Amino acid sequence: MNRDLRTLAKLATIIAVTFSCVILTYFITSSITGHQLATASGNMAFSRWQEKFQSLTINAGILSFLCSLAWFVLTRWIFKINSSRGIGKRTVWAALAALDLIGCVAIPQFYSSTLGIKINFIVIAVFIIFFAGIGYWLLTIFTTPKIFKYTPLGARFFLARK
Amino acid sequence: MSYYFISIGGSGAKVLEALTHLCVAGVMPTREEINILAIDPDSGNGNLERSGFALNSYIKFQKLSVGNDTPLFKTKMTLIKPFPWNPIEIDKTLDDLMDYQIYKGGSLGNLYEVLYTRRERNTKLNEGFRGHPSIGAAVLAKKYTLRDNKNTQWTDFIQKIKQDANNGGEIKIFFAGSVFGGTGASGMPTIARLLRNDLKDNSPDKNTILIGGAFILPYFSFPPPAEADKLFARSENFLTNTKAALKYYAQRENVFNAMYFVGDSHVTHFQKFSIGAATQKNDAHIVDFYAALAAIDFFNQPADYSQVYNCIFHNDSNKFSWSDFPALEEIENGDAKDFEFRKRFAKFARFVFAYVHFIKPVLRGLSSGDIKDYQYPWYVDYFSEADIVNTGAVKNFEDYAESFVTWLKQLETLQDREVALIKSAMFESRPARIVNAEEFYACDGVITNPKLTLHEVWYRLTEDLNLDSSINGFGKFLRRLYEACDA
Repeated sequence: MNRDLRTLAKLATIIAVTFSCVILTYFITSSITGHQLATASGNMAFSRWQEKFQSLTINAGILSFLCSLAWFVLTRWIFKINSSRGIGKRTVWAALAALDLIGCVAIPQFYSSTLGIKINFIVIAVFIIFFAGIGYWLLTIFTTPKIFKYTPLGARFFLARK
Repeated sequence: MSYYFISIGGSGAKVLEALTHLCVAGVMPTREEINILAIDPDSGNGNLERSGFALNSYIKFQKLSVGNDTPLFKTKMTLIKPFPWNPIEIDKTLDDLMDYQIYKGGSLGNLYEVLYTRRERNTKLNEGFRGHPSIGAAVLAKKYTLRDNKNTQWTDFIQKIKQDANNGGEIKIFFAGSVFGGTGASGMPTIARLLRNDLKDNSPDKNTILIGGAFILPYFSFPPPAEADKLFARSENFLTNTKAALKYYAQRENVFNAMYFVGDSHVTHFQKFSIGAATQKNDAHIVDFYAALAAIDFFNQPADYSQVYNCIFHNDSNKFSWSDFPALEEIENGDAKDFEFRKRFAKFARFVFAYVHFIKPVLRGLSSGDIKDYQYPWYVDYFSEADIVNTGAVKNFEDYAESFVTWLKQLETLQDREVALIKSAMFESRPARIVNAEEFYACDGVITNPKLTLHEVWYRLTEDLNLDSSINGFGKFLRRLYEACDA
């Protein structure tokens, strides 16, 4: 596969994985703790709670998507290597990871009150697992261009040639 | 087919240096090994030291596994030892070497006294023949004829050539040396004639064993030595020496199948006189480059080629560019095909520059623990499994890369004239480094692929390349880097 095709495939993967994460987060959280949270949110009808929770999930998904896309765009087109020092860009990767992680906590915390729904630690945990863990960490490991392929923490475990 | 290259004297050593770099770059026509012999009575001379350094480095890493489908390191080189062969023992004078005391008073002794001045006879020859071919011819002929003595290298050397000839192979022997100095001017005709006579039985038709030579004409001068009364080479004698040498080749039986005369109408002035030894370190010159190309042309000629009289000129007397060099071809699987010298040389130059710019500092930084390896995917992929970095091959390649860049820089520094091979403004030598990365993709003056930046090389280095499974280790990495530098 040539570099352009690989780029398209990776972009498609980022979109597909993020979309899958949104769907999985929505359904898993709904099935585990949805009814309980709907009740806690002033006996809200479950369908009404689902509607609001969907919006919450989509927003967290968008943030995760933006973080992993930003990392891909930076490493694929923006960062140029002309010397051999200071080229790992792990700080940038970690900053985006931190932003995503904070988003996974902050978005449910603050956006839920705007929406008028309650959340619990299960929501936070599932958001972190799917949007920070899978949607950013694992996704960047497998979609980072080869030139920075070992920059995401743990990438070597998955990608280094045996 | 067997190739032999014999460098004689300081000029020959400089041609050897250029030939080494061209062989490493894969410019030779075939994959035949070249046997290298260097003859120099001044074995400590700086020119020989430099070519010996490049050659020895290459010999140590030439066995790296890079595959047989690449021109990189295509031509292997073997040294015929001792390297160099010094026909003179330390502190010997001509009288000592010619056993004058034995013949003194007799007719031979008297003739000898007539032929050589007292100063020529009594000067110690530690720094060579001091621009006096008459001394060199006598010493070399005498030493050559002593080859049956087990102490000389000639027995093995001649045996090897005879063995190759008896095996039905074609032998090509190429000499390189000057016609105006001491060692080259005396050694070229003397050794070639004696060698031809020696091998007569093995090549009755003169076409089994072909002898060629690059004859370097005067192209430099230097100030006269301060001690005027001593025996030294003097540049004011170069033209006279050359005239005498050319007359000799024109009038005497010519043992050469091919003769390449290489000179320069512009005389390069060296600021310092050197008697010889380590201080005789003349910078690489375009004349050496042409002479090395002459060797390649000779090795590429068919065995039955008739004598041809080619002449090569260059377009602009103040500039050397790619179009001034002869067309080259290579033979793969029995078929001859042209290749673009510029492209191959430029790819090799980019490969070396990318190495010294990107790879060398990283390997050093990683060894010292200054940097983390995750930043360098190629290191993780190619180096981390085995302790490749600490093998001698890496050090030898780095030494070679340094000598290549130094040679190239010298080649392109030609008083008031431009040598437009690899853009000189792009790099520096000692230590070798890229100073203008913007010029990398067009380092040969031609924009073949503007996308071939250093970033692109780095990118390619991390991408997979289908290579034969037998290619491994540091050779595999070098092959990947070489392919990454393809425009």
